[in-house]
Amino acid sequence: MADLDRAIAQLRACRPIPENEVRELCHKARELLIEEGNVVTVQAPVTICGDIHGQFHDLMELFRVGGDVPDTNYLFMGDFVDRGFYSLESFLLLLCLKVRYPDRMTLIRGNHESRQITTVYGFYDECLRKYGSANVWRYCCDVFDYLALGAIVLGASNTLSPSTGAGGGSSEPIPPELGLTEDDIEIEVRNADGHIMSRFPRQERARRAAAAAAAAARRSNSNGSPTNGAAPAPPEREVVVSAPSNTGPPGSGASGSSGGSVGNPAGAVLCVHGGLSPLIDKVDKIRLLDRKQEVPHEGAMCDLLWSDPDEIDGWGLSPRGAGFLFGADIVKVFNHRNDLSLIARAHQLVMEGFKEMFDATIVTVWSAPNYCYRCGNVAALLELSEDESGLGTYARSNGDVNRSDGGMGDGGGGGGGGGGGQRGVLAENELMSLRMRPGPARRYRVFQAAPQDSRGMPAKKPVADYFL
Amino acid sequence: MEPRAMAASAAQRRPSPLHPKLERLDPAKPHTFIRPTKRIIEGSDMSHFLTSGAYRDIMLFIFQLNRSLCPRKKTAGSSAPTPTPTPGPPRARARADPNVQTFTLSAGRNSDIEPIKKLRELLKKVDAIIDEAPPDKNAGRRFGYAQFRDFYALLEQRADSLLKEYLPQHVLGFSTQQQPPESGEGRVGPMEELKAYFLGSWGSQQRLDYGTGHELSFLVFLGCLYKLGAFQDDSRDTDEISRSIVFGVIEPYLKVARRLILTYMLEPAGSHGVWGLDDHSFMPYIFGSAQLTRPISSETEPMPLEGSVAGAPKPSDVVKVELANPHKEENMYFSAIGFINDVKTGPFWEHSPMLFDISGITDGWGKVNKGMLKMYDAEVLHKFPVVQHFPFGSLFSWEADPAAAKPERTVHMAQQPTATLPQGGGGGTRTPWAQTGGTTGGIAAPMLPRNPPAAAAAAAAGDAGASSGRFVSDVPSTFPQGDPGTASAQYSITAAPWAKKK
Repeated sequence: MADLDRAIAQLRACRPIPENEVRELCHKARELLIEEGNVVTVQAPVTICGDIHGQFHDLMELFRVGGDVPDTNYLFMGDFVDRGFYSLESFLLLLCLKVRYPDRMTLIRGNHESRQITTVYGFYDECLRKYGSANVWRYCCDVFDYLALGAIVLGASNTLSPSTGAGGGSSEPIPPELGLTEDDIEIEVRNADGHIMSRFPRQERARRAAAAAAAAARRSNSNGSPTNGAAPAPPEREVVVSAPSNTGPPGSGASGSSGGSVGNPAGAVLCVHGGLSPLIDKVDKIRLLDRKQEVPHEGAMCDLLWSDPDEIDGWGLSPRGAGFLFGADIVKVFNHRNDLSLIARAHQLVMEGFKEMFDATIVTVWSAPNYCYRCGNVAALLELSEDESGLGTYARSNGDVNRSDGGMGDGGGGGGGGGGGQRGVLAENELMSLRMRPGPARRYRVFQAAPQDSRGMPAKKPVADYFL
Repeated sequence: MEPRAMAASAAQRRPSPLHPKLERLDPAKPHTFIRPTKRIIEGSDMSHFLTSGAYRDIMLFIFQLNRSLCPRKKTAGSSAPTPTPTPGPPRARARADPNVQTFTLSAGRNSDIEPIKKLRELLKKVDAIIDEAPPDKNAGRRFGYAQFRDFYALLEQRADSLLKEYLPQHVLGFSTQQQPPESGEGRVGPMEELKAYFLGSWGSQQRLDYGTGHELSFLVFLGCLYKLGAFQDDSRDTDEISRSIVFGVIEPYLKVARRLILTYMLEPAGSHGVWGLDDHSFMPYIFGSAQLTRPISSETEPMPLEGSVAGAPKPSDVVKVELANPHKEENMYFSAIGFINDVKTGPFWEHSPMLFDISGITDGWGKVNKGMLKMYDAEVLHKFPVVQHFPFGSLFSWEADPAAAKPERTVHMAQQPTATLPQGGGGGTRTPWAQTGGTTGGIAAPMLPRNPPAAAAAAAAGDAGASSGRFVSDVPSTFPQGDPGTASAQYSITAAPWAKKK
């Protein structure tokens, strides 16, 4: 362990560890990851993060904003490597933390965690340059093959717990004229210093309906390009519209839905890098995949890592050349069938750091600020609080052992079982009346690129062959 | 291979075997034009491409332009060409050798020949279209602004009339021999060939990206014009005309491209991230370094392979904004560096490590220039993901060049992709095996690893199988045989209906 702690310290200082240590680390990581199921079960509280892309200093900023490991549980949704200068340091640090604190760190696979993609988008070049050989790239790629494909977050609360990240518990009281309590807050957005930027209460039915109508009108006016997907609304507007329809009394944990499961009042959250697949109608189908391989060019595993939500009906071909586009109807049916309240995914740059879509049934979280040194975007992380109603707790489990029940057991922690099969396929007109699970309370922390003053200039390296 | 050797091997034996130039067509002889089409479908087509007339002509044209920019020693009593060395920045001027003529961006704009001036006007028109299709800053976006498609639609609409207005009459009226009707080609003239490359020069409207493939398309557009005699002028020698092409057209083109990139946030086409030379361009690094090489004294002297002209900024000046900026109005390399500094934040060595390392070269700009030419050949022209989009017509022809040497069978080429399946293109990371319809695409050039990447990766793949123990059989069989740099399976074109907004 001392070795590991030393390696962590070295990597935190942004210095790569020697090749033999990488080899050993990757070996340990593989032993650990092989025990994890394709879909890891994670217990709230947890902080969910999107793409990192080798932006090491911004990863450090993320830890500052979100709280350090192991004080904060983290779930990273892939794309640790490629494009940035420090893919190696970023990935190895995350891997070290995973090995050191296996229950506090969850890493799932992104489409860039692949041999083919890393040889095109930079990680391969980086390893070669930093070590002079491809060995380290090879070790890392071997680990990629073992990363889980998704995670299910259980036990998330539909009220926010006090803030513990940057700025500590700085809690700004809600103006009394709003007639709200802390428990009414569904979404809270904080800046990097922990100050509240905005808060959104759960909406009562009437107001929500009005907002939805207004949103519909806006949508029909906006006529945006469907390919570009990103709706014009900044998070606030999206968010206001997005209050779930079927909230029980705030804070009671009661959803009023037949799918309500003990101890999991806010419904489960599925985390996956890209999105859904037409080949996957139930979370359990993900568990059946043989994931220990290079990401294939097609099929369910590929789709989970490559797909994107889009303002379309049903499924569409992805302009990326892999995965699919999927519309709101797909997400709503999938969430309903699987007793999910939310899908959290990454994979797409969002200028505002996060973006909820489709009545808050899916959210994109993006954690690489000023992407590629030039996009000018902010980054975000998503905190889900622990449900403290005391109605049930779940031990984290690595792997599929004792989970042969197959039904909805994992999704709803046992309570929601049977939902999937019985609900089956929904007729289209039923879709409109789909009773959505109330979403968990969500705290987003938005942060910018780390300051650069502390980075010293390295010595120039020998140039490529062309220039010799 | 040395640049000279590369040029020579690519060239047919001509009067000046040392420094061959692109050949003009004989205007008296009717020419059969061909509607440009893509020919590089599979990886195995790459080896044919490297023996094609198009490849030969691209290299010839680049070497011709490159050489024209190299400083010249004034010979005693020679009637030096009119444009005298324009004073560079004070520092450079102080040490400049009065007996050497250098060529800078601002030199001789006004003395450009008419067709060059016309092309600049054409570029202004293209630039003005940007104002007609402003990005919708309120609309959400992921990377690029979708309004680039509006720009492109306008450009496409107007391409015919723009080209008719700004290209020389005798070029568009080049005597044409139509193909036999049974070819099904319909009437094809110079316009069809020129328009294909012209429209391919501005980025992909489908993927909202821009890269070296688009840059190549513009170069070839100019190459076509050259072959059709657009720049012929008896009062100028070829070097002077070549310089006019670079300074008078290519640099203004790059400015338009940069404005497109900035305005619509066009994504680097197929980027190696920080590990590529530049997100979008390559040409300015070739031509800019040529401007600063050690001078040559005779037309038979080869391009210098090292050394800098007196008064040149040091390669290491690149990394300091305050040292680099003063040169950006005069030198294309520094102009490109200036653009990087404008769009990127963060330490230069971090976002541009390749250029940072090159700035450590101590053998002068000649060395940089030689390296850039080699790198362009390897990282742009030899890369399937870039040239797969290139359309071949009659002027830049798919037909084999009879004088071409057999291309070296590099590891790299042995690893080209083979299969084809349909797909389209869009924002964000794309699969390397995705191909897209529409215009020529591109990829920013990656750095050359010190080990051949394909070999290393292939070996790695082999090891991956071995070390993953019981999962050996799970390693996809395609990977070890496929090219890690591109893909073992390539998809050909089926644009998704919503991916293309016309």
